[in-house]
Amino acid sequence: MADTHIRSRDLAFAPGTELVFGPQAARRTQVSDTIARVSRGWGFTDIVLPSFDDRRTFEGGEAHDADLYRFMDREGRWLTLRADFTLIAAKALAIELRRELRVIRASYEGRVFRFQAAGHGARVEQSQRGLEWVNARGIVHDAAALCIASECLSELGLKDATTVVGHAGFVAAALGDKGKSDRALLEAIDHKNAARIKELAHRRGLDEQRTALLAELPSLCGGPDVIARAREIAPMLSARHALDELEKLSQMLRESGAGVAPLFDLGEVRQFNYYSGMMFKIYHPRVGDDLGGGGRYDRLFDRYGLDVPAVGFGFDLARVTEAMPRTESGEAAAVQVNAKEGAVALREALALRAAGQAVSLAEGKR
Amino acid sequence: MLRVALPTGRILKDAERFLTAAGYAPAENLAATRKLLVPSQCGRLEYLLVKPVDAPLYVEQGLAELGISGKDTLMELAPDLLEPLDLGFARCRMVVAGRPEIRRSLDNTLSPVRVASKFPRVARLHFEKRGIPHVVFKLSGSVEIGAVLGLAHYIVDIVETGTTLRENGLVVHEELAQCSARLVINRAAHYSQFGAVGAVIADFARSTENQHA
Repeated sequence: MADTHIRSRDLAFAPGTELVFGPQAARRTQVSDTIARVSRGWGFTDIVLPSFDDRRTFEGGEAHDADLYRFMDREGRWLTLRADFTLIAAKALAIELRRELRVIRASYEGRVFRFQAAGHGARVEQSQRGLEWVNARGIVHDAAALCIASECLSELGLKDATTVVGHAGFVAAALGDKGKSDRALLEAIDHKNAARIKELAHRRGLDEQRTALLAELPSLCGGPDVIARAREIAPMLSARHALDELEKLSQMLRESGAGVAPLFDLGEVRQFNYYSGMMFKIYHPRVGDDLGGGGRYDRLFDRYGLDVPAVGFGFDLARVTEAMPRTESGEAAAVQVNAKEGAVALREALALRAAGQAVSLAEGKR
Repeated sequence: MLRVALPTGRILKDAERFLTAAGYAPAENLAATRKLLVPSQCGRLEYLLVKPVDAPLYVEQGLAELGISGKDTLMELAPDLLEPLDLGFARCRMVVAGRPEIRRSLDNTLSPVRVASKFPRVARLHFEKRGIPHVVFKLSGSVEIGAVLGLAHYIVDIVETGTTLRENGLVVHEELAQCSARLVINRAAHYSQFGAVGAVIADFARSTENQHA
């Protein structure tokens, strides 16, 4: 006899966990399948990665130490639930690269686990699908990554999404050695708060030229012309190098007829991350947060003793599903078969399935 | 049409005056209407009237592309929003206040300092940063009385003129921030509706400059 004394609160899951069912789950599967199909078309093969690992694997990622989920295994070792795909993929692929240094195109899907504050919908689990292109040197791979992401969006009916491209090297050059680990300053840049940037730059004693450049960062957002505008106010060698790369990227996208016209945001900043060059995020008017993003991380494999350039990106499946236009399912209606008819019904269902028909076996009248 | 979350309460009248000066006058008197959604006369904006503490949330979740919020509320909620403009009105200060002699009496104590505030996060972060052991009591209003009756050694609150503090025998011990109304923008809306959002920012910036000229 089933326990009938279950309280309602026993049926609740922990806040922030994912529970998706019915049409929403079908739509999410469609999103994932589409991204997988496009990835395969560009030569990527699936990689299945561990769900947890040593904490050190996730150092230097988006998640702060306090936001990681840890547990102790039977032998008393502390382990961390997967908080980031790129970091754990890098470790997995480093094993392969130490055997043979080659180009690897890997595509993954799964969940990451990291605490996010209530303002972000208190999400702890996030389903992602993305890809890592390892030993991919040069701007052409950056441009190709943007094209692959764009093809995914186009296949999903999200041509009206906006891709926003920045460069980790530009903001780093603008901040200089003094400013690059200044959390308050990074936060002000991230919030595009020019007045606060100016106030902090003065308080930190940064010189006038650097202060003026930092205060301009929030307005360096728009079409390719912002790259030229940035050249006028950012004379540092490393800033010029970053702008050269973005210029080449923009030109390559234009000349190849890719149909990808990103917005450039030179004030794009991501704290505590592994990006070293071009980085991007994708936005859509129907969703209040980014649908995904990625970029170049040429120094990530240093931690495994390898000098391997790489580029990659990932989509947030829940948000992409939310952005999708609401259309009726294209699937054929299922033929109803009455389960009360026993073996006869089952024979009929098998015959319909053999003919490729969708079947709904349920008790009830035809 | 872009939606702008506006806080009801002390900021609303100044906000309405600002929007009118910037060319986005509401179609109805915002302080008098019972409606929660009111279009602008020009038809380019729609105003969403919500509690001050809720305005940043509506913007962060993308239900409003833009919003106006007091810096005090933003400091407490720490939402993930763009904050490109100080609109210059509803000025006040976030301060640590208490009885005049309280600092001296706490000089040699190791027991936690008791703090009362409508801004518990701001209070906690401030005392944490100073390495001072503390307990924070969240109050909903009349915070001053907490310090007067001894519930707390300090209060963390916003002060406009300082009259309420003075009349209750309290003084400012430390200023934490200058607060005023800010324009906040949803990150996704900023990029995915770049032209429309950018035009509103430019109009608001011009109006802010004119007011200060």
